[in-house]
Amino acid sequence: MPTYRPEFIAALRLLARISDAMADRGLTRPVLVGGAAAEFYSTSALATGDFDICVIRQPELEEEMQRVGFIRPSGPGQLTRGWIHPDLKLGFEIVADVPMDGNVDAAHIRLVRPIGDTALFRIISVEDLIADRMGQYASGSAPDRLDQARLLLALHPDADFDYLERRIREESKGEYGVKDITA
Amino acid sequence: MALKISQPEQDEPVIDMAELGARIARRRAELGITDADQPRNSGTRRTASKKALLKAIKDAGGNW
Repeated sequence: MPTYRPEFIAALRLLARISDAMADRGLTRPVLVGGAAAEFYSTSALATGDFDICVIRQPELEEEMQRVGFIRPSGPGQLTRGWIHPDLKLGFEIVADVPMDGNVDAAHIRLVRPIGDTALFRIISVEDLIADRMGQYASGSAPDRLDQARLLLALHPDADFDYLERRIREESKGEYGVKDITA
Repeated sequence: MALKISQPEQDEPVIDMAELGARIARRRAELGITDADQPRNSGTRRTASKKALLKAIKDAGGNW
């Protein structure tokens, strides 16, 4: 059975270490969003080399990232907000302070224990991730997101459908609902 | 490393990634979904910062 790639597991263990360090300082844990969250909820073998993160206290998170070996890319054409880890050859990018412009119910942000570790990290719920895909699809700029939303829902038949319906409606400005990805 | 968890998190359920991965893998098998069926991102929404980060990862030898 296909499951997670070793590189992906290593990346999430690193995120969990950073997340625990933030919690130890009494700070809010960062939240994983975007394509890496999609890989987490699909056990996809697709390449996801960058990890989008939301965090309220960015300077403190960047301190913790540097402690575990992250560096700012340097050189021509390297104007990025992201950080790379030269040993693991992956990148983290802080994309916002809160997920999805703050429209996510805090109670739906999940805690995860990665494979082979005791540290924890936070990730948006599969319902919010699906709603995010549908919001992007509704914008007209990402037609591929519809298939992603359908796949994610097919893999998570135990999703909270009431919450999912509300969130898809919100993200798609009322244009779509659950029925549009279950047909 | 000892598990450290803040007071508000103590009663919060924790997703075990190994268990979740096994469950999703079983579901994928039931539905006949292979890696080839996974819809890829077109990349059309990538910001300049994201493109630069992906280039930096590639330059560092990343093969994701």
